[in-house]
Amino acid sequence: MPQHFVAPPLWAWYIVWYFFLGGLAGGAYLLGTLLRLNGDPRDEGVARLAFLVAFPAVVICPILLTLDLGHPLRFWHMLINSRTGGLNFKYWSPMSVGAWALLIFSFFVTVSFIEALFGAGWTRHSAARSIAGGLSGAFGHLFMVVGSLFGLFVAGYTGVLLSVSNQPVWSDTWALGGLFLASGLSVAAATLAILARSRADAVSTERKLSRADRFFVVLEILLLAAFFVTLGTLAGRLFAPRWIVLWVLVALGIVAPLVLNRVSGPGRLGSPGLAAFLVLLGGLALRIVLIFGAQM
Amino acid sequence: MARTVGFFTDTTLCIGCKACEVACKEWNQLPGHDPKFLDSFDNTGQLDDQNWRHVQFIERSTGNGGVAWSMMSDVCKHCSLASCMEVCPTNAIIRTEFDTVYIQPDVCNGCRDCIAACPYAVIGFNEKTGLAQKCTFCYGRLQNNLTPACAKVCPTQSIKFGELSEMRTVATARLQQLKAQGVSDAQLYGEKEYGGLHALFLLTDKPEAYKLPSVENAVLPSRNNARGYLASVVTAVLGVLGAVVAFRQRGEG
Amino acid sequence: MTNHWRDIRHADVIIINGANPAEAHPVGFQWFMQAKLDPKRGIGSGGGAKMIHVDPRFTRTSAVCDIHARLRTGTDAAFFGGLINYVLEKNLIHHEYVRNYTNASFLVKEGYGFHEGLFSGYDPAKRAYDVSTWAYEGDAAGQAAFERTQQEIAAHGQGPARSGQAGAGKPAAPKVGAGVAIAKRDMQLEHPRSVFQLMRKHYARYTPEMVTAITGIPTQQFLEIAKIVGECGRPDKVMTIVYAVGLTHHTTGGQMIRSAALLQLLLGNMGRPGGGMNAERGHANIQGNTDHAISWEILPGYLRIPAPGQKNLNDYVSQSAPKKFDANSWNFFGTNYRNFMVSLLKGWYGDAAKPENEFAFDFIPKPSSNSSWISIYDQALKGKMQGVVLSGMTATSIGPDANQVMQALANLKWLAVMDPLPTTSSEFWRRPGADPKSIQTEVFMIPTTHWIEKDGSFVNSGRWLQWKEQVIPPHGEARHDHWVLAEVFQRVKKLYQQQGGKFPDPLMALTFNYKDPVKPELDELAKEINGYDLTTGQRLDTFGKLKDDGTTTAGDWIYTGSYPEAGNLAKRRAGVQDPAKNDPTGLGFYHNWAWSWPLNRRVMYNRASADLDGKPWDPTRPGIQWDAAQKKWVGDVPDYPPTMEPRSPKAWGPFIMNGEGVGRLFSASMLDGPFPEHYEPMESPIENPLHPNQSESPVAFLYDKAAGRPNRFGTVKEYPYIATSYRLTEHEHYVTQHVPHLVGLQPYPFVEVPVDVAKEKGIKSGDRVRVSSKRGKLEVAAIVTPRLGPVEVGGKKVYHIGIPIHWGFVGIAADRDPTRGANWLANALTPFVGDANSRTPEFKAFLVNIEKI
Ligand SMILES: Nc1nc2c(c(=O)[nH]1)N[C@H]1C(S)=C(S)[C@@H](COP(=O)(O)OP(=O)(O)OC[C@H]3O[C@@H](n4cnc5c(=O)[nH]c(N)nc54)[C@H](O)[C@@H]3O)O[C@H]1N2
Ligand SMILES: Nc1nc2c(c(=O)[nH]1)N[C@H]1C(S)=C(S)[C@@H](COP(=O)(O)OP(=O)(O)OC[C@H]3O[C@@H](n4cnc5c(=O)[nH]c(N)nc54)[C@H](O)[C@@H]3O)O[C@H]1N2
Ligand code: SF4
Ligand code: SF4
Ligand code: SF4
Ligand code: SF4
Ligand code: SF4
Ligand SMILES: [Mo]
Repeated sequence: MPQHFVAPPLWAWYIVWYFFLGGLAGGAYLLGTLLRLNGDPRDEGVARLAFLVAFPAVVICPILLTLDLGHPLRFWHMLINSRTGGLNFKYWSPMSVGAWALLIFSFFVTVSFIEALFGAGWTRHSAARSIAGGLSGAFGHLFMVVGSLFGLFVAGYTGVLLSVSNQPVWSDTWALGGLFLASGLSVAAATLAILARSRADAVSTERKLSRADRFFVVLEILLLAAFFVTLGTLAGRLFAPRWIVLWVLVALGIVAPLVLNRVSGPGRLGSPGLAAFLVLLGGLALRIVLIFGAQM
Repeated sequence: MARTVGFFTDTTLCIGCKACEVACKEWNQLPGHDPKFLDSFDNTGQLDDQNWRHVQFIERSTGNGGVAWSMMSDVCKHCSLASCMEVCPTNAIIRTEFDTVYIQPDVCNGCRDCIAACPYAVIGFNEKTGLAQKCTFCYGRLQNNLTPACAKVCPTQSIKFGELSEMRTVATARLQQLKAQGVSDAQLYGEKEYGGLHALFLLTDKPEAYKLPSVENAVLPSRNNARGYLASVVTAVLGVLGAVVAFRQRGEG
Repeated sequence: MTNHWRDIRHADVIIINGANPAEAHPVGFQWFMQAKLDPKRGIGSGGGAKMIHVDPRFTRTSAVCDIHARLRTGTDAAFFGGLINYVLEKNLIHHEYVRNYTNASFLVKEGYGFHEGLFSGYDPAKRAYDVSTWAYEGDAAGQAAFERTQQEIAAHGQGPARSGQAGAGKPAAPKVGAGVAIAKRDMQLEHPRSVFQLMRKHYARYTPEMVTAITGIPTQQFLEIAKIVGECGRPDKVMTIVYAVGLTHHTTGGQMIRSAALLQLLLGNMGRPGGGMNAERGHANIQGNTDHAISWEILPGYLRIPAPGQKNLNDYVSQSAPKKFDANSWNFFGTNYRNFMVSLLKGWYGDAAKPENEFAFDFIPKPSSNSSWISIYDQALKGKMQGVVLSGMTATSIGPDANQVMQALANLKWLAVMDPLPTTSSEFWRRPGADPKSIQTEVFMIPTTHWIEKDGSFVNSGRWLQWKEQVIPPHGEARHDHWVLAEVFQRVKKLYQQQGGKFPDPLMALTFNYKDPVKPELDELAKEINGYDLTTGQRLDTFGKLKDDGTTTAGDWIYTGSYPEAGNLAKRRAGVQDPAKNDPTGLGFYHNWAWSWPLNRRVMYNRASADLDGKPWDPTRPGIQWDAAQKKWVGDVPDYPPTMEPRSPKAWGPFIMNGEGVGRLFSASMLDGPFPEHYEPMESPIENPLHPNQSESPVAFLYDKAAGRPNRFGTVKEYPYIATSYRLTEHEHYVTQHVPHLVGLQPYPFVEVPVDVAKEKGIKSGDRVRVSSKRGKLEVAAIVTPRLGPVEVGGKKVYHIGIPIHWGFVGIAADRDPTRGANWLANALTPFVGDANSRTPEFKAFLVNIEKI
């Protein structure tokens, strides 16, 4: 059992929500892209929703990060060296890489957001039109793919960020990055599924999403397994009484998509929605336990 | 005038007077935390933003009713391979001309990644200043060719200060002397850890007893980069494939 | 200290007994550590000095010592008695030294005896000894021979006393008054009434088993220590004994210290570098306080306070000055007593001090009753005190028996507290639980400067007089103490002039020749203390030149020479910046660093560091040695006439201050016995195994009993635990309760509780406990620790409760506490009784009970 004498960085709620929304945004952007590339016109509505959702999520992220700083007005020190004026980029420091990734991803999200607004006919602004124009066709696809890559990174690096430390639990496993990514995808799928239900034309898409979600959940289960295996006895501290409820939520968030979606009849009422909702709760719970549980 | 300075803290000479703690606070104008009684002679508790030296009191029974009481003045190790410096995204943490590890208060933005990284729980977050704070190795004093405050006041020379190389020789000599006197568990800490610490410690028990990770446990945060990212990439690939498959299936499936 | 701080690094063995230097003298402690680290030091083949800590508690000092011996508090006389017996029986003493440099060979008069715990001459009614039965046997022939040689010396007008700086510039012939009583000696040390044989007999009772039965130190550990100590009788080894108030704070404190000194004399360790009896003193300048007569029974320079019935200087000198007991005893103090006293009177009363009026001898009070610390409050309790001025002292916190002391303060008409800060004394009338209306005492707070706000000198434990500069300017309206006192004096004087009054003469005559009569400067005082030759108006460079004809002055004769015309020697700072130049002998004397009394000698009695031929006992650690070529003593400043041939028949004995000329194993100068004897503390868990019928000191003064107040001593039945009180590194008594950083290090009061007691009482570290004695209670947190183990005495385990002294109802911590620090005064517990000689309170041994609150 590895020795740890470190002090906790006291990362709290801001970080929990950042991790959650980062995963959601990254996942949503990817799913939006895939739905489009998939080429089924019935999916376009939900694809657009995906980009529309990604935007607010991504906007809140840097705000949360900044508020968490001891010196919020120095958020830009993450990117620019306040002494030399040069750029701060440390590929071996996830926090440094993540800051850049988030910046770049936000750019993609914003552009795709505008494009989606235009597509939905919610804006007729000339700038929006030209952007939409530019993104139609092959370039648009390439653009989304690249954006998705950054999306994936934003959804996953947060786990690596925790691991690249000397904190108990966090630094004793390699699974966190994957785990957060899988859970991020699952959360995104669930969110879209819920939103999809508002659209009459999205029945099939919602099914696809639920199917995808089941797959993500399986991934998540595998990574959780890996997580506990790598931790061994160290995992014990994550099961202090005060965390049990959260673990139940995590479990529900995993089991729900597997069980509930199956039993859902054609009426498509209730259960799938409930499943999706539980997934969101589970995703949040997972991050709370891992962030607070390791530090306390 | 670049130098490579270091501390050698000889715990066998420490009398737990805490002059080092007070001198550090006085010189660095650290007000200290609100007084708290911690049920022992150590009411400082830990190294943090206010306590840049911390004297540990380690009470052991030596069987046959006897006791041993070792005192150790802990401090930032100014690691050659510094975990804190490794992760700091703003490059606030630099290596000075004295080969010490220094947090530039005007650069730090209080993200606290360094706190998560330091294996010795040295750095603390100051709520008032919003900065990560730790021992500066009396940067200002070094620049003026003065001995660090803590080493200056130590009455028993338990804290020795000088060129790192010199400290190494002194430390090894002292270790030999103790071994010769039959102090079998005497050992040096800080030669191998993190590429060599700039604060060496002479211990009379295993490092863990002094809240110091053993050499095999003294590892850098970056060790987890590759593994962590690899796991994410694999997950990403599987995730994308999964989604693609899920979306391909048409109709009511 | 007979030696000095830096000298401790020369010791092979360091016995720390009744002191906790790592905590109470951390800076001085560096020299202990250096001895420990020096491979040349130590017993056998060296390898570092052996450090032995004898203390009821395992402390931060014990932590770095080779041996910690846990003894029951108050039993050190038995511990040293045991060592004395061991080195005598095992014949490990330094024979040549004992024979020639101690009074082992002196014969004691018929009639001296010791039975059942009492020495001869005891008067139970007075609870006092008639010490006349503790005298030497006179030597008529010797006396006659001595007088003859005196006439010769006088005739040839020369004698050792003339020679050089240490010598009195006057014939050695004793002045009228200083007595001569040559004593019989048996240089074979075989005579049954020789001090040596009496001593043997006296200490034969202190067998290792008896030591264990009294002290609780396991026999085999005691023997382990004895073996180490025994090695230090060899000339090439030397041991130092370091003590402080762990020995003085007992009804038997004086004798405990003497028992250690006896051991050092037997081992030949007095006067040698690395040896000696070294008292670590208290406040930064407590040594200076003592030298300048802080205690009531002396005048500056340890001259006795005149006693009632002494009509003139002759009476005074003959009754106060040490007598000369041996032809070869210089008896320097006795011989010069009159010179010192007259120079003091002349310094104080100037022209009013004339031969006709015995130099105003009558201006000095002749107190008929004891006026020591406890006595002051005893008098107040009896309503015999109008007022008290406390300058730099906190009566209330100091104790003993703080509750009774506070009653005493409430009996005063007025109390003036001269202090930079509020103290428990200045605030006693509004302490938690007190009703200010019911306390009539008028309390004046006179803000004085702190020592850091004035220049002046500190005298450290090593007798070094070191001048310091003012560090920060006076705060607010604070005034220097000497200015306050000067102004009070001027005003009182004026009142007498205006309104007259009884016996104003001393006030009128007192010399006060300062530039500003209400603002004297400490530099002016320092010059006055050094003293002048009135014929030349020049300041003197040695007390050897003091005269009894009124032509010299000295405010304190032991400081004469500290401020000669050359300047203030206390300001000298030729130190480690150039050891080669400033420390030629390499023994760390640094004679041009500041100035040490007497006459800048760094090791007292250093003549005893060399053998009869003047060769150092240990050539590697010479104190002084006779340089035959230059015909003088070299090394340290000799505590001896610098050019006196060691082998000359006229050569003085090595201990020039003593009437015997040698060290005293037997002495009539103590009120409680010529040989140290173990007596139990007034409150003790067991009866004295040596003499149960005379368990505690027969002569300790019992204030409450004598005053007819109810008994305030508890018994082991009601109070089953022994308690001792002590300091922590982090605080300086009570004053640092005002210092945030230090309060941060030790924020709240606590007591240390042994694990076994804690188990029995269900106490955990951090729990609040009540510690109570017959006199009062303490309510603080507990720290449970294995560092306070049991001691096994009389077949039963007894436990110490450890009580740090530092808290009260004034300061940062008290202000933060809802109860305002009620029941935080350690001295609420301590007994109202003191040492038989000095009356120093028994702070270190008393009985308590403890319970969880
Ligand atoms: N940090 C700090 N240093 C100080 C002071 C302070 O307040 N704080 N005060 C200064 C003053 S004024 C003085 S007088 C000195 C006092 O200096 P010390 O005498 O060293 O101080 P204490 O802690 O009172 O007592 C010393 C030791 O005596 C032990 N002891 C108690 N009873 C006995 C006994 O019967 N026999 C033996 N062998 N040991 C016993 C105690 O356990 C304690 O460890 O310290 C000076 N230095
Ligand atoms: N139970 C128990 N009681 C003890 C002891 C013990 O060991 N056990 N130790 C005893 C001993 S050895 C001692 S010395 C006493 C210590 O008892 P105190 O001498 O009363 O303790 P301090 O707190 O040092 O008080 C010194 C005061 O002097 C003031 N002061 C400082 N500089 C100056 C100055 O220049 N002028 C004036 N006028 N005031 C100044 C400070 O503000 C402080 O209030 O306690 C004694 N009482
Ligand atoms: S000890 Fe901690 S804070 Fe100090 S240099 Fe090493 S990693 Fe950084
Ligand atoms: S808290 Fe300051 S020093 Fe620490 S990592 Fe963040 S920026 Fe760097
Ligand atoms: S080197 Fe300076 S800053 Fe660091 S602990 Fe010592 S005194 Fe404090
Ligand atoms: S100053 Fe020196 S002796 Fe005192 S606690 Fe610090 S290291 Fe130990
Ligand atoms: S307080 Fe002053 S006297 Fe006491 S140990 Fe420290 S330096 Fe020495
Ligand atoms: Mo004292």
